[in-house]
Order: sequence, then C-alpha cells, then structure tokens
Amino acid sequence: MGVIVTALLPWLWPVYPAPGVFRSKEEARAYHCERALHDAPSHRTLTRVDTPPNRGEFRKSDLIVCTQPVVPPHLRDPADEVVLRTLQDRTQQLAAAAHALRPELQSHTWLVEAHDPNTAVVAKLRFATQNALMEHGLSVSDRTPVLGAGDIQVVTRMPPVAAHPAACARYAGTGSLQEDDVLLVIIRPDAQATELVGGVCEQGRWTWL
Amino acid sequence: MRALLLLVLALMPAVATAADDVDAALTDELDRARARVASQVQLTAYDLVDELVYGLTQEPIFGTPTPVVLAGVSVPVGLGTGMQALLENHLSNALIRHPDTHIQLVHCPSCTAVVVHSGPEGTVLTRGVDDPALLAKLGESTGQHALFIDVEAEGAWLVLRARVTRLTPERPIVWSHTLATSASTPALLRDPTELKSAEDARAEYLAMLHDRGHVAIPLRFSVRSYAGVEYYGGSGVGAPPFLFIQSGAELTPDPRQAWLSSFILGYAVIPQAYQGLMGQARFGRLLTGSQHSLTHPDLYGFIGGAAMTVWGPAAASFRNRKLTADELLTDEDGDDPRTTFSTIQFGLDLRLGNRVGLSSFLETIPSLRSSRNIGNYMWLFGLEWQTFGTEVTFWF
Repeated sequence: MGVIVTALLPWLWPVYPAPGVFRSKEEARAYHCERALHDAPSHRTLTRVDTPPNRGEFRKSDLIVCTQPVVPPHLRDPADEVVLRTLQDRTQQLAAAAHALRPELQSHTWLVEAHDPNTAVVAKLRFATQNALMEHGLSVSDRTPVLGAGDIQVVTRMPPVAAHPAACARYAGTGSLQEDDVLLVIIRPDAQATELVGGVCEQGRWTWL
Repeated sequence: MRALLLLVLALMPAVATAADDVDAALTDELDRARARVASQVQLTAYDLVDELVYGLTQEPIFGTPTPVVLAGVSVPVGLGTGMQALLENHLSNALIRHPDTHIQLVHCPSCTAVVVHSGPEGTVLTRGVDDPALLAKLGESTGQHALFIDVEAEGAWLVLRARVTRLTPERPIVWSHTLATSASTPALLRDPTELKSAEDARAEYLAMLHDRGHVAIPLRFSVRSYAGVEYYGGSGVGAPPFLFIQSGAELTPDPRQAWLSSFILGYAVIPQAYQGLMGQARFGRLLTGSQHSLTHPDLYGFIGGAAMTVWGPAAASFRNRKLTADELLTDEDGDDPRTTFSTIQFGLDLRLGNRVGLSSFLETIPSLRSSRNIGNYMWLFGLEWQTFGTEVTFWF
C-alpha cells in the first residue's frame, strides 16, 4: 500500500507549479518559474539564496521563483512570445558562444544583424545582443552592413544555409564589412519555430555557431 | 436537393456577417486586454526609467554636458504606441530635471525621420540616425550622440535596455546598460524632481506606510477618577473626576516604534468647580511584537509621572485631613483652595494605525497616601493607587 501511495504521490501532487490531477496545464502555463541558483544568481532573481546543503546530505531544497508573466497568454503571437520570454538568456548565450568561438577577435568591432519574420522582434534581438556583447567588453558598432540591390535579389532566392555565407562573402567583397569588423547574425530560420541560430562573419568567412 | 442548395446560398451572407462580427469582437477584446496590460506595466516601466536616470546621475556617461538625441523608445511587443509616447515623455522629463546626468536632450528632426538617399551604390531608405554621413549632408550638427531605449516584457520580468551611440560613420556604441525588474514589485514612490536609490526610496516608502517620523504630536482627552473614601473606610468628601485636554510631543528613536516617550502638558476646567494644569512624562514599550504593525492594533505598556496643580472649590478634596465645616465655609467665601502634587502612573495603551489610541492607567499620589478624602482602588507594589484614568488620543 505504501509503495503504491509513494508511486502515486508525484503524479497526484507534483512539484509546484507542474500540472497534475489538481492543476491543469493551463494553470501551470500561467506561471513563469525560474530556479534561483546560489552559485550563479541571476540579476532578475533574489540576490540572497541560501547556501546549498553539503554533498550527501539527505534533505535537498531548491528555491524556485514562480510569477505570472507580464503579458498574459494569447496577447502575442505564441512563437514571438517564446522568443521574447527568454530574450535575455538566449542573446547572452549567443554572445557568449560567439565570443568563445573566436576569442582572437576581442579587439575587432562587432556588428549585429538579426533576421526574424516579425520586424519588432528583429529590433529586440539586435538590441539585446548588442548589449550582451558590450557586457563581454567587446567594441560594438550600431552600423549595419548593406548589400546592393543585385546582391539582395540573388541572396534572397537562396536557401538560408547558403544565403548567409553568400551574403557574408558579398559584405566583404563590397567593403561594407571591413577587415576589422565581425558580424554576428541571429536568425530564426522558421516562422513556426522558436529556435534561434547564430553565425559569425569575418573577412568574408562564415561560421555557424 | 435544389431547395437545400438555395437555402445554403441564401444563408451564406448571414454566416459571413456573423463571422465578421465575431472577429471584430475578438479584436476589440484583445485591444482592451492590451490596453489594460499596458496601463499595469506603465508604472513599472517608469520605475526602470527612473532607475536608469538615477544611475546616470551617479555615474554619468559624459564628463561634461553633452547634446544627445533621443533616437528611439520602444515598448513591449504588442502593447501599442500609446505607452511609447508616455515612456518617452517620462524619460525626457527625468533627464531634463536631472542635469547632473550630463545628457542634454536636443531636437533633431532629421535624426528620427526616414530619409531617402540616392547615390552610386543605390537608393537607401533609412532613418537619419542610421546614416550619420547623410545627417552631415543635411546640415544636422546638433546631436553628437543618440540614446536608444527599449523595454520588453520577458516572462515575469520587465527588462529595460539602453545604449548610446556616437553619430559618426563608424557609429560605435559608447555605453549600454540593462535593467530588469519583476512586474510584481510594487512601484517605488519617488519624487520625480529628486531621484534616489531604490533602497532610499524603499525606506521612505516604509516610513510613509508607518505614517510617522521620529516626532508626533498627540491630542489627548483624559478623565481621572479618584477613589471614593468608602474604599478607605473614611467618611470625607470625595474628589470629582478631573477632565484634562493634553498635548505635547511624542518621540520614538526608530521607525519601528518599539520604544516611545512623551512629554505632555494639560489643562482642565469645569466652571465653578475646578481648574488645573499638569505636566506629564511617559516611557512606553511595545508589547505586541518588536515593531509597530501596519495592519493590527498595537498594545503598549507605559510608566510615567506627572505634576499637577489644581484649584477651585473641588480642589479642596486633595488634602490629607478630613475637611471641616470651617474649611468648606472659607472656601465658599472665595478663597479657593489650591493644591500641587506629583503622581506616578502605569498603564496600557492600545493604538490603531497611529491615528487613534485608547489607554487606561492607575496613578498614585504619594503626598495623599493618608488622605481622609481620597481612597484607593488597590494596593500594588506597596503603594496605594488612588486614581484610575482613561484616555482617548489622536495623532497628527
């Protein structure tokens, strides 16, 4: 009997706010939860988090901060909402990955370009990535490289996998991207997807992150 | 079959109209929801802007006052442009009121306008701030830097990002900053003309909630009832109740109000009966918790002392010996008796939100311990407690 109850407990009363018998998925989705880490406290979570227990200690506890989102569900496009909800974390990760990929480019000037079906989200992605790069101590420019009309006609007819390396080569070829410039491109490849991918363009060479 | 087809064709416009009505109603409902959310988020966004400007006053970007163009303010996706205008006005107001940020906002219509430029490389459609070379051709030299602000709702957090770009062909970003707060954080009450840190604002906010500073002025009405002689077994003339109106200063060393002291002056008058003056000092300690409660009544215990002088026909009772007929006659001749004495008191004080308090106390008059005119309510700590007092206090 005890074994059955023990097996059923996580299903009947799952950890808050996970959905279960007494909490629907809609209710669970109405909250945004974030684990407050002791070793890496987020500037958005509490600054005082108790020291974790010693290894081997029986009782372990987590501090999970759950709050309702600022913008209720269904007010924005669901895919946009997912991207915007994690904008800070994602752009920081992309900036950190780009910086770690090419540490020798520390002294170069970094430019940022973003591609998303929603132009408002493009501006958000670009702004957040620029700030994230600045936090790494990099020189960042607000400049945007441009292509000629002929180049755009060719590039936009290519699949994304080939279009971005081709555009990178043309940026270097036309001088729009100078020798000491590095372009970090953030791309949402599919309007229905929420995944972001990044690439670095430097001296006409394209590298996917 | 034909009749059914005709019926379907006849109903199609009605179905289409109904669908349009549903779409319109849904759109209206979404717009109302967006407006509601924007109004809720607005104060938090203002707080972030205040925090940003306060940070700039503490660590200015520029060493000297520098002209800056407010190039763009963007708000959370889906929350409309009304909030954008409000936020832009608030930011401009905060920057103008705080010249120690060294940011001088300048007007640059060409910077924010969309301009078209045709050259050998083609025709470029861009905003002025995105093409500083074009701005130079247009003769704009008022702004050397551009300030961009972006506010976005990211899950449960509202995040503000700011950057300053130098308007040269290379357009380097010279400064950037990111601030985040939870939308559930109550708005800080800050004076817009003098921004301060979040900690200071919170301390002021709590002080305001506690509704008083270190000094408060009470207005108190008290009634002192003196024990009749039957309590003492005597047969003298008892003292009437004394009504005092009192005011003075009440001091507390810290906002928690765990300890209180008060210094009060009072005056009593009943025409044809008595008049009186008194001075009183008390020390009180909160008994229900370690700090004053915002939501529940607070109970204080206090001890203190008072000095009184009373005169008038009714003051004749404040004598140790039993009144004689001669004394009563003499008093009636117009030579009113006057008595001055000191008291020691202790009691309880129940307060509601620092607005109104009810207290009661027992008081002993050492100089009247053997009075044949005033009895005592009880023996306690080896003293006779002859007076029972009740008070109602209002604070301002």
